[in-house]
Amino acid sequence: MSELLRVEGVRKSFGAVAAVCGVDLHLMEGEALSIVGRSGSGKTTLLHLLAGLEEADAGHIFYRSRDIVGLDEESLALWRRREVGLVFQFFHLIPTLSALENVAFPLYPERIAPAKRRERAVVCLDQVGLAHRATHRPSELSGGEQQRVAIARALVHQPSLILADEPTGNLDTKTSDEILTLFGRLRADNGLALVIVTHDEKVAAVADRTVHMTDGRIDQ
Amino acid sequence: MNISYLFAELRRRPGRTLIAALNVALGVALFVSLQAYATGYREAARAPLAEIGADVIAQRQGAVPDAFEGIVFPHPTAPIHRAEIESINSVPGVEAIGEAVLFWDFESDRFLVGLGLDPAQTVGPGRLRAGLRAGRFLETGDSGVAVADTTYAEQSHLTLGDSVSIAGQSFSIIGLVDTSQAGQVASANLYLTLPDARAQAYAAPNVRSVFGIRADDANVLFIRADSPQATAVAEQVQSILGQQAIVTTPRSFDQVLGATFSVIDRFGFLVGIAGLLIAMAGLLRTTAAGLWERRRDVGLMRAVGWRRRDVSRQLLAEMLALTGIGAVLGLAIAGLVTFGLGFSRVTVPVPWELSPTPHFLPGGAVNMAVTIPLGARIDPGAALLAIVLALLAGGLASLWLARRAAGIKPAEVWRNE
Repeated sequence: MSELLRVEGVRKSFGAVAAVCGVDLHLMEGEALSIVGRSGSGKTTLLHLLAGLEEADAGHIFYRSRDIVGLDEESLALWRRREVGLVFQFFHLIPTLSALENVAFPLYPERIAPAKRRERAVVCLDQVGLAHRATHRPSELSGGEQQRVAIARALVHQPSLILADEPTGNLDTKTSDEILTLFGRLRADNGLALVIVTHDEKVAAVADRTVHMTDGRIDQ
Repeated sequence: MNISYLFAELRRRPGRTLIAALNVALGVALFVSLQAYATGYREAARAPLAEIGADVIAQRQGAVPDAFEGIVFPHPTAPIHRAEIESINSVPGVEAIGEAVLFWDFESDRFLVGLGLDPAQTVGPGRLRAGLRAGRFLETGDSGVAVADTTYAEQSHLTLGDSVSIAGQSFSIIGLVDTSQAGQVASANLYLTLPDARAQAYAAPNVRSVFGIRADDANVLFIRADSPQATAVAEQVQSILGQQAIVTTPRSFDQVLGATFSVIDRFGFLVGIAGLLIAMAGLLRTTAAGLWERRRDVGLMRAVGWRRRDVSRQLLAEMLALTGIGAVLGLAIAGLVTFGLGFSRVTVPVPWELSPTPHFLPGGAVNMAVTIPLGARIDPGAALLAIVLALLAGGLASLWLARRAAGIKPAEVWRNE
């Protein structure tokens, strides 16, 4: 297995508040890593830095040996579109679009024929077991179903890395278990690398490796 | 830019779509309707002249007669000499001239307004032929005959074959005509042939005492002019007839239509433009508010890999679509308003000078008027201008808003929630 991601001395502050203080990490291709920490420990900011959604004040983030720190916004957007799938605690589905359209959403700016785009979205929706809910809008879906749609959306452009921020944080226990099982199956099927940020040790257990984060630092 | 996402946003946010589109629609409707209203009024103002087939009417102010006995000329109708008529005929843009002699006849037992006309002329009162109700109209070569206005004939108990005496000469009634068919301009009680009227006027002591009248003079000229040159023709006629000239053009009727028309005519365009701009500001406000509600969606776009220009294009297309829908809706509303305006009628006063009656007679100073449907219609140029302006203003506002929206950073949106 080769290295997919290497983080070296990354720092991020918001004014006087240091959110991430010199983090070092690495992730191998297909590996699952969980970052566990309490609220305010800086784990979400770290995830945003890994996704290029926040700009690091210092340090380097190498993705397949290419440093993404310092890339301009447009390059980062393109990089995310090709390499990264994002899953959020609050799902962030577009309320006016159906489940199928939400899954296809990251492909909209691509020059892909609508039929092809739809085909890929249907496959992903089927992978998360929601093909029968394709025409339903988010308001017509349960929380677990919405998160599964969000996971399908993260898969639709066939990324190498999934970044998940508290993916079960807004779900009940039973649904959380279903989502975690789904993550495990999708990893096995697609060979994806996964970074899960969570405060829940049970969620962290789905990963191959766990690191803990306190006050913006990875515990040694 | 994704069409299905665009339509989903428009269709599934009906409140926002409706308010934004209505904003534009009201602006476009206001602009187009005002222009349609002004067009209707302008055409109404042309009706009195159009009905008599003239673009310009020329008269000359003269002296008040020494005595109101027998035939006199109303003071706004001093004689216009043959040489002057020939000069006017040679003015570039003049296509035809209809000559007439308008006179008052004061008899011991009654008063009448008489008009001498050339029955062969299609410009001027010759068109009264279309208003014939009984008998026959005057023909070239007729003499000693007259056509009576139906209202006058009824009031004076005149019928076909009766005789009317004018300054001692008897005229037999050969036809009855509805004067209102000629736009109430130079309307009279009795219509004679031009040679008969000229002879009567030339011989009248109370005409000769104040005017140096000649046998072939006229005192009202109906001029048909090439439309683009009508204003220049009017100026030339004014110049030929001198300071005492009374030259009537459609613009003269605009002025008597009153303050409402003046305001619409002068400020309608500006008010329309202002309405359009206010509407676009409303669109901007509605869209900006909608965008604030959608900042999480925009954040998501950026997070899943939409570039700034992808976001900008999508939002720009949405707002332009809203503007387009609003513009079409606005045209439809303007169409309904214009249709409704078609049911209203406008009364166009005819200046006293064009149909003078003696002030000292009961009801004599009352101006005549023509009441016609307000022919409001949508001017394609105004409609096109409204759409272009709406799209231009909407486009610029949208561009600014879309660029701002594209700058939304997802992490900031989520951090602030």
